[in-house]
Amino acid sequence: MTPQPILRVEHLKAHFRSSYFGVYREVPAVDDISFDVAPNEIFGLAGESSSGKTTLMKTIAGLIAPPLELIGGKAQFSFMPPETNLFGADPAQLAKIRWSKLSYIMQGSMNVLNPLRQIRFIFRDFAAVHIGGSRSDFETKTVNHLSRLRLDPSVLDAYPHELSGGMRQRVTIALATICRPDFIIADEPTTALDVIVQKEVLGMIRSIQREIGSSVLFVTHDMGVHAALTDKLGIMYAGCLVEAGPTADIFNAPQHPYTRHLIHSLPRIGDTVQRTGLTGTPPNLANPPSGCRFHPRCPLASDICRTERPKMRQIATEHRVACHAVAGDQA
Amino acid sequence: MTALLTLNNVCKSFMRGGILSRHRIEAVKNVSFTIENNRPEIFAIIGESGSGKTTLARMILGMQEVSGGTLSLEGNRVGGRTRKERLAFMAKVQPIFQNPFEAFNPLKKIDYYLLLTAMRFGGSADLSEAEAAADVALRQVGLSLSEVRGRFPHEMSGGQLQRVAIARALVSKPRLIIADEPVSMVDASLRMAIVNLFGELRDKLGLSIIYITHDLATAYYIADRLIIMQKGEVVEAGAARAVLSDPQHPYSKQLRDAVLSPQVTGSPSIK
Amino acid sequence: MKRIIFDLLKYNSEFRIGVFLILIVMCMAGLSFFSPYPPNDVFVVPPDAPPSADYWLGTTSRGQDVFWQLSIAIRNTLAFGLLVALLSRVISIVVGLSSGYLGGWVDRVLMAINDTFIVIPLFPILILFYFVLRDSMSTILLAVIMSSLGWAYDSRLIRSVAMSLKTREFTGTSVFSGMTIFEILRREHLPYVLPIIFSTTLNNMNWSIGLEVTLAVLGFMDINTPTIGGMIYWANQHTAIVAGIWWWITFPVLTVVATFVGLYLIAVSINEYIDPRSRLSRMGGGQS
Ligand SMILES: Nc1ncnc2c1ncn2[C@@H]1O[C@H](COP(=O)(O)OP(=O)(O)OP(=O)(O)O)[C@@H](O)[C@H]1O
Ligand SMILES: Nc1ncnc2c1ncn2[C@@H]1O[C@H](COP(=O)(O)OP(=O)(O)OP(=O)(O)O)[C@@H](O)[C@H]1O
Ligand code: SF4
Ligand SMILES: [Mg+2]
Ligand SMILES: [Mg+2]
Repeated sequence: MTPQPILRVEHLKAHFRSSYFGVYREVPAVDDISFDVAPNEIFGLAGESSSGKTTLMKTIAGLIAPPLELIGGKAQFSFMPPETNLFGADPAQLAKIRWSKLSYIMQGSMNVLNPLRQIRFIFRDFAAVHIGGSRSDFETKTVNHLSRLRLDPSVLDAYPHELSGGMRQRVTIALATICRPDFIIADEPTTALDVIVQKEVLGMIRSIQREIGSSVLFVTHDMGVHAALTDKLGIMYAGCLVEAGPTADIFNAPQHPYTRHLIHSLPRIGDTVQRTGLTGTPPNLANPPSGCRFHPRCPLASDICRTERPKMRQIATEHRVACHAVAGDQA
Repeated sequence: MTALLTLNNVCKSFMRGGILSRHRIEAVKNVSFTIENNRPEIFAIIGESGSGKTTLARMILGMQEVSGGTLSLEGNRVGGRTRKERLAFMAKVQPIFQNPFEAFNPLKKIDYYLLLTAMRFGGSADLSEAEAAADVALRQVGLSLSEVRGRFPHEMSGGQLQRVAIARALVSKPRLIIADEPVSMVDASLRMAIVNLFGELRDKLGLSIIYITHDLATAYYIADRLIIMQKGEVVEAGAARAVLSDPQHPYSKQLRDAVLSPQVTGSPSIK
Repeated sequence: MKRIIFDLLKYNSEFRIGVFLILIVMCMAGLSFFSPYPPNDVFVVPPDAPPSADYWLGTTSRGQDVFWQLSIAIRNTLAFGLLVALLSRVISIVVGLSSGYLGGWVDRVLMAINDTFIVIPLFPILILFYFVLRDSMSTILLAVIMSSLGWAYDSRLIRSVAMSLKTREFTGTSVFSGMTIFEILRREHLPYVLPIIFSTTLNNMNWSIGLEVTLAVLGFMDINTPTIGGMIYWANQHTAIVAGIWWWITFPVLTVVATFVGLYLIAVSINEYIDPRSRLSRMGGGQS
């Protein structure tokens, strides 16, 4: 059977709640999400823009700060002592696992490198304490690591704004992987890279993952990356996980109407078929549609879809879908 | 045929490093190409990251000086010295940026930018003319002023925002749009909606678009011509589909082969 | 504007307390216009009288009524602090925003000047000015000198925000919407530095009032303009504490403390209100 998962997410709910001067708003950006990530596995996550992927990553990494609030559920890493939920853990314990066990490449993190500091010092500030050793040792390690990402040592002398988008992005990947963590959360780490470098960076992430047997949670809009890299794939829409399963199954036999549309909208080199985007407007998460959140745009929507929210159902080994129109085993 | 945009051996170098260890970076080296006036096209620029694509775009937009060669728009140098010249220039060339969520000031209503562009470039004399001009532009991207009126950026989706950004660029009736990675932050379905829109703008409005991207599949899908850049230089240029189906330069071949196809055949291809 | 104040009063108790304190202080300052005695006349009332029904806060050894003296003093001190804060804010906004946005040689020149001002030792300079100018040293002149010394640190702060704003894409959108540099700085960038400006206004007022009091207490000031510092100076000259004339010292100090606390509370609560993040959340926005 499947081994003990390294990360188990159960009924996780996290909402943005804000009440400023009498205007109250609640955005259910992560709404009842459950999935497991096995050791040695790369779990991909795709979905609509602003469907809550980044929020889910933040919640799992325990980076919950107002206005984001944990409403319920839990995310349990196996390297945490059993029954210590990440959210109940004390800050000292969290600080210990961050970067050495769990590292998080944030979305757009390339734009948050301190603009007034050279890359060399950013590395020093950040990773020197975890790596230890003398300064010149650390420098050689950094240079070697950067070269795996095809970055010239001269970037160490540059200020962030002097680098191209892709170079900055690789710098942040280097920062997150230099301590060789057990679990890597990567939120769109390769969007600004050309395909060759992207492939190499993915290869590097893959090889680090193999070397230390770590697992990766990988968010990207690039379905080609998912097809090539990930073992499992989850699809999100409007704060919910609507489909999850082995990547091959999702690509070859997508079940949920949104997933089906997504897979069929992908252009390929060498074919000239006209492709279209999704019609209708994306849901307003502050006031989401009733029942199935996809129903206003769904070609298969029926009455039950408007009133009742579909539950995740198992339709094949490890393949789960939340849709009334897809027959499953049981609720 | 008259040329709309001409680049002739355009170069750009930067100095980097501290006072003691300064060295030169040749970000763009001898890039030349021409976009014709009466043959609207989508001109894709693809290539290595750090190969100078953004720098090239910023030079065409007059946001950065060239350090060598000439860059001219309808025979005049880009940018312009006086404010009047700059306004005349910006009316013809407009940018679209990478991140739709960042394209507008989050504290401002988005119609403000549309109306302002109409007043400053579109020749609208008063508010009602500006509104009419903004509405026309928004309809070209499948929206309307009434949908956008009074709304803040966070009240729109990424796709809507990117379309409003395109509409704003259209208000001044430009001849050329420079889009630097306009789809890399949005989901696959939205991506198609936006590149399809580019195709429509070219076909219906006769607009040329310089489309910078890392997504070779959409370049193949929509672009007419493309150039491939590596280390500041153009290594291959030609008709988009021909180049991508049968690349000649070793770097282009490598690039073409590194494209990850959205298909699963057996086990993961990255080992 | 009305709405902002209304909202703040309704939802924010720090703001209410701050407004209350500042209103009291301002009422006091306002009353100075109705003072029965000219501010610089001495021995208009019996000296050294403790607080009573006739003289609410007592009288000084110089025969002045503490209440009326205090009202003119706090008026001058507030006006002084405000003047310094306003002048120095204007300089730091202009320098910080343009330096950050324009970059290049403009930035280098402005920051070189800026850094010179940061390292100038303040106190000796002020005393130097006092000895050079002597009798022509007026409160207004001191305010101008202090504001030209007190902007540099904050303009560096503003510059670093402006630098990151410059690289944000909406700045590009503004340029290509036809805005002038001035419009970009005022409409697009200024709202993002307002929180800094507010909190530094407070710091700056506290700093300038504090410095003014210090200078006056030490006697390096034009003692003919009644200020809080001036009052304490005279009280010390007459060894008021030793002589048991506690009211001559206590009430000026209390008023200054009330001013500090009131300004602080108002600044903090307004800051929360105008912070782009909180503004966005109220509008229903996502990440800023
Ligand atoms: N700080 C915040 N306050 C309120 N709402 C927020 C905040 N941050 C995000 N949201 C909302 O939560 C939802 C999910 O956002 P999130 O960033 O997780 O999306 P995403 O799936 O990562 O999108 P993308 O693909 O564009 O990165 C969005 O509707 C967004 O507007
Ligand atoms: N302001 C600057 N100062 C110094 N060097 C710079 C500056 N801007 C860009 N460069 C350098 O110029 C080169 C080209 O950068 P550019 O941003 O044009 O690349 P790009 O092709 O857009 O890359 P990407 O695909 O990653 O966005 C890079 O080596 C970069 O470091
Ligand atoms: S539950 Fe109904 S509306 Fe939702 S995806 Fe399935 S068929 Fe469509
Ligand atoms: Mg995200
Ligand atoms: Mg770029």
